[in-house]
Amino acid sequence: MGVMRMNGYVGRLLYVDLSSGELRDEPLDPELTRSYVGGSGLAARLAYDIVDEVTDPLDPENPLIVMTGPLVGTAMPSAGRCSFCGLSPLTGIWGESNTGGFIGPELRFSGYDGLVITGQSDTPVMLAVVEGEARLMDGAGLWGLDAYETQDRARRILDEPRARVACIGIAGENGVKMAAVMNDHGRAAGRTGMGTVMGSKNLKAIALRGGGEVPLADPDHFALVVREILGDLDEDMAAMALRMAGTAGYVDMALMYGDMPIRYFQRGEWEPASRLSGVLMAEEYQKRIRACYRCPIACGRETHAPRYGLERVDGPEYESVAALGSLTMVDDLEGVIYAGHLCNVYGIDTISTGCTIALACEMFDRGVLTVEDTGGLAIRYGDVEMIHRVIDMLAHRKGFGDILAEGSATLAERFGVPELAATVNRLEIPMHDPRAFSGMAVTYALSPRGACHMQGDMYGVDTGQGPAVELDIVPGNRFEDSEEKGRISARQYAWRNLYNAWTLCQFQNPGVERLLRAANAATGWDLGVDDLLELGKRLVALKRMLNFRRGLSIKDDRLPELLFDPLDQGGSAGKVPDVDKLLRGAYEELGWDAASGKPTRDTLEALDLGFVVE
Amino acid sequence: MTLRLASDAWIKELSRRLNESNSYERAAKDWEGDFLFVVEPDEEFDDTAYLYLGLHHGKSPSAALVNSEDERETEFVIRAPYGTWREVIEGELDPIQGIMTRRLRLSGNMMKVMRYPKAAQEIVACCAEVPTDWS
Repeated sequence: MGVMRMNGYVGRLLYVDLSSGELRDEPLDPELTRSYVGGSGLAARLAYDIVDEVTDPLDPENPLIVMTGPLVGTAMPSAGRCSFCGLSPLTGIWGESNTGGFIGPELRFSGYDGLVITGQSDTPVMLAVVEGEARLMDGAGLWGLDAYETQDRARRILDEPRARVACIGIAGENGVKMAAVMNDHGRAAGRTGMGTVMGSKNLKAIALRGGGEVPLADPDHFALVVREILGDLDEDMAAMALRMAGTAGYVDMALMYGDMPIRYFQRGEWEPASRLSGVLMAEEYQKRIRACYRCPIACGRETHAPRYGLERVDGPEYESVAALGSLTMVDDLEGVIYAGHLCNVYGIDTISTGCTIALACEMFDRGVLTVEDTGGLAIRYGDVEMIHRVIDMLAHRKGFGDILAEGSATLAERFGVPELAATVNRLEIPMHDPRAFSGMAVTYALSPRGACHMQGDMYGVDTGQGPAVELDIVPGNRFEDSEEKGRISARQYAWRNLYNAWTLCQFQNPGVERLLRAANAATGWDLGVDDLLELGKRLVALKRMLNFRRGLSIKDDRLPELLFDPLDQGGSAGKVPDVDKLLRGAYEELGWDAASGKPTRDTLEALDLGFVVE
Repeated sequence: MTLRLASDAWIKELSRRLNESNSYERAAKDWEGDFLFVVEPDEEFDDTAYLYLGLHHGKSPSAALVNSEDERETEFVIRAPYGTWREVIEGELDPIQGIMTRRLRLSGNMMKVMRYPKAAQEIVACCAEVPTDWS
């Protein structure tokens, strides 16, 4: 099929029906890209027409949508990400997760902007796309392999040593609800169980290889903007810190602010947690730094863990260090590195895994769980070797691990303590405490995939990282919980949703004006500053309506009870944000009805979302 | 009595208060590295001032107003206009936010600073206690 030139896009999607084995190309609709851009935004628009209120996330009909954005695979710095989307088996609502590395650019080089995968194969398969030619291959030889082995073996089977592979590990095969899609060794689309969806389809791997290019509307101007962004990178202190110490370099700051959760969100201070610092990781364990496609920041770490016989291992990021470290009262950095490695090879989300284990520790501590429930295993805070063992049980659904594999909300419900689960809409709270940065309360409460820090990083805004001044997103008092703060948080929520549609790394913040110029030079569009928030608000309204159709309501815009208890120590001592007041401002900013939480009819129509009006 | 920010008395008072602060001592117990604070001119202040602050293992062994950036060698230099320093000292600008947004321009070993944000916070807390004449 010929492809019409479409600047900023390859111009076609690959539809895969794993039940019938049919593969077909579809041209990308320029109107859809202009309205939903790409990434999780375009994926949500496509999914809206595929799923309905009763689609089970593990049904063959639930699509796994792999999507890139218009800047992916270009020379734009840090535009190498890729979204994996669909209904989440962990939460039952919209799921999206994006990953770095090289898989997104390679998808475009291989000839597609995205993949829409439905159905279920009778036997394990691998989807291979090489130079625009797609085919399904027998994946039986990959089944049972860990995520790293799978990637290596897939390349050998395909005889394409430079192919990029996204795959599931053993956890995805076993239906573990927080299974990740893994690529470029330890890179992960971790959250919301997109690896579980992939496993339910018997799709073990997606291997991509190609030499295509992304057409640009104005290559000269695009190159100029890229040069400007790269030239000013030395002025970006956040980028500099990320390069020096990785994302875990935030540990010391997070501890000072009270942002890094300790003992399952119940302690504000714990001095040993500073032993988890990314600076120490760099000094004591780092082998080299690693960058995603065309990323000058290079926040990735490769470390070693000699105690576990590992010479080279992908180092944990901040979220993993906190979830598998301070949250479970572990200060043994090497042990945490190994725990992160186990999550990577099994293919599970480190945040949901760490949170679920920490919840189990809390329940054990309170006597809600006993050794009779756990098969004789004492699940105590501070025991990193126990954590390693439990990760193995969880990934294999062995013994008590079978319950943990369902996630925190199910674990707490199963033992009659649902109020203990630190989740929003069944997704575990990540490692930024809304008591330390009140704007995060809005982000968590409204996030379309459940508690997520990538849907509006107000902790970043209020620490001065990448403010979007043109959009009135400016740093302020981190404890402020006014309606105005709610409005700022809502704008950041819309802005980051647009970032996730561009499929850009959120660590790259070249400024609104430069991003606009880059996007327009790539696509030939004529977007202005005013269009950006409209685009973002369209995306969050669409995802909102998709979730409301599946039964969510304003009552679900809530934080877990644990986070309403003020901490008595640390950088957020005594603080609890007024969530209701913040949300009033947020609903108003987004044009959502304050009583129902729904985007109003006027809002939907103004955003060209008339098709979702009931 | 209040003290002008750009004065020998002000920086010596800050040093004295740091030496009395248990919180600072705990937060900076392993810290080694002197600072030079450069107060740059703006509409409220028409001079440039250089405030040297010695810092070692949770104490401040010395402090002085110096004549130039070269007079005392320091591991770290932070520059900002007078008005920005005032915002920091009066608690209106978080120093980390200030550094990230480049309103405070830090030069020196960033990795080392990243390990001690709490110490920076305690220094700012002591700054706020120094009775400052902003007239």
